Amino acid sequence: MASVIEFDGLAYTHPGADAPVIQDLSLDIEAGSFIAVVGGSGVGKSTLLRAAAGLVTPEAGEMRFNLPQRPGRRRRAIVFQDSRLLPWRTVDENIAYGLETLGIDKAESAARVAEALQLTGLEELHDRWPHQLSGGQAQRVGIARALAVKPDILLMDEPFSAVDAMTRRKLQTELIRIWQSTQSAVMFVTHDIDEAVYLADRVVVLGNRPATVVENLQIDLPRPRDRNAPEFAAYVTHLSAWLGVE
Amino acid sequence: MLTRSYHPLTRIAYGLAGVVLFVLLWKAVGAFGWVNPGILPDPFLLPETFLLEWQSDRFLPAVGSSLVHYVWGLGLGALSGILVGLAAATLQRFDMLQSYVSRILRPIPPLAWVIFAIAWFKVSHAGAAFVIAIGVFWVNYFATYSAVRNIDPRFYELARSFGQGGYWRRSVSITLPAIAPGLLSGIRTGIGQAWMTMIAAELLGVPGMGQEMNAAAGVGAYDAVVVYMLAISVMYAATDLLYLLIERKVLSWRP
Repeated sequence: MASVIEFDGLAYTHPGADAPVIQDLSLDIEAGSFIAVVGGSGVGKSTLLRAAAGLVTPEAGEMRFNLPQRPGRRRRAIVFQDSRLLPWRTVDENIAYGLETLGIDKAESAARVAEALQLTGLEELHDRWPHQLSGGQAQRVGIARALAVKPDILLMDEPFSAVDAMTRRKLQTELIRIWQSTQSAVMFVTHDIDEAVYLADRVVVLGNRPATVVENLQIDLPRPRDRNAPEFAAYVTHLSAWLGVE
Repeated sequence: MLTRSYHPLTRIAYGLAGVVLFVLLWKAVGAFGWVNPGILPDPFLLPETFLLEWQSDRFLPAVGSSLVHYVWGLGLGALSGILVGLAAATLQRFDMLQSYVSRILRPIPPLAWVIFAIAWFKVSHAGAAFVIAIGVFWVNYFATYSAVRNIDPRFYELARSFGQGGYWRRSVSITLPAIAPGLLSGIRTGIGQAWMTMIAAELLGVPGMGQEMNAAAGVGAYDAVVVYMLAISVMYAATDLLYLLIERKVLSWRP
């Protein structure tokens, strides 16, 4: 299958830092696949994701988007760790934010918002203000906003790390359902190995300083996945070894 | 301070009682002869004075005239303050260009400009409006500038991620709505500031409440002066109320 994005020999140094945070990093993400990126804190997971989002410019290496640009869609859309909703916009208007510069008409835009609301189960909250939402609901709106632009790849930066454990499980299950009903690939950054194994087709481990890909593991488990299955635990144990956690 | 929650009616009752006490104290100061009654009007005679002023056909034209330069001064001062503040906060080269100029002009009190107001605009609405506008300009300039500077940069990152990163797109979708609360509080301060400079600005001879006060004081009619003072107070409250209604509408997204 074709790849949606290819990182080739990427390097990046934070402004003011004397050593690069990532160097010579290469990674290939298949169209429609779900990739989780894990690694210790400060290893450069978020930097890689932000490079993919176009928010930081790598100083070396190449980033190739291999799918053709299609009208009315974006190649990439990001879901932030904080939901980052605009407080002066209702849920509807927040979801429409990325659509406003896509050159699509009002009817199409409304249809996209409705579809994203439905996918994320937010229909009843569509006219609320962000301050009226719980953390989990706000995060769903963030996901809906990204889905509305029908991206080739959905970039998610620890999106569930700020919600409680119960909500987190629920959002993980729903994310799989949402992803399966779209054709988007997902690049999901997390520090939670359990979450990575539950969600992803492949788990990429970043390690070393400067960071490179130290492990790229296919998760061959049927969905929906059983967190209590011994195979699940085996994957978690294997990956934990890379991160030095027990 | 520990505050108890009192019933709204109790609060109103206390507020009114305070007004009554204030008036009684005022009355007592005159009645017991603690000050010369010639320079402290009797509060009980004020309604009558008000009626006389009203019937003299001077009151309403004075209020109307004051409102003309008030509205122009406030409107132009706020608009230009917001525009310049916005430009300075978002265009770096313009910011550098204007930084010393604003530091030089800022400390000059609005009333110092009365001299040039007369020289440039003669004794006219425009002159009074100009003096009012200067005070309002600075208030709005600084409110806007600091509101823009306080915008969470993560919102701009969001704008870039979703194709709204260009200057105009970003200004309309992030900057303007984000600064609305700061902008509005600047306008509110300007509303108060404009009332304060207005009376002084009218001392240059432009018809209005300030001029009426000056004229009344000239003939020792201090009771009439107080009537105009109270009129200003009432009109300030009215404009502030109008502001609050607009704010509630514009900032309905706030908790």
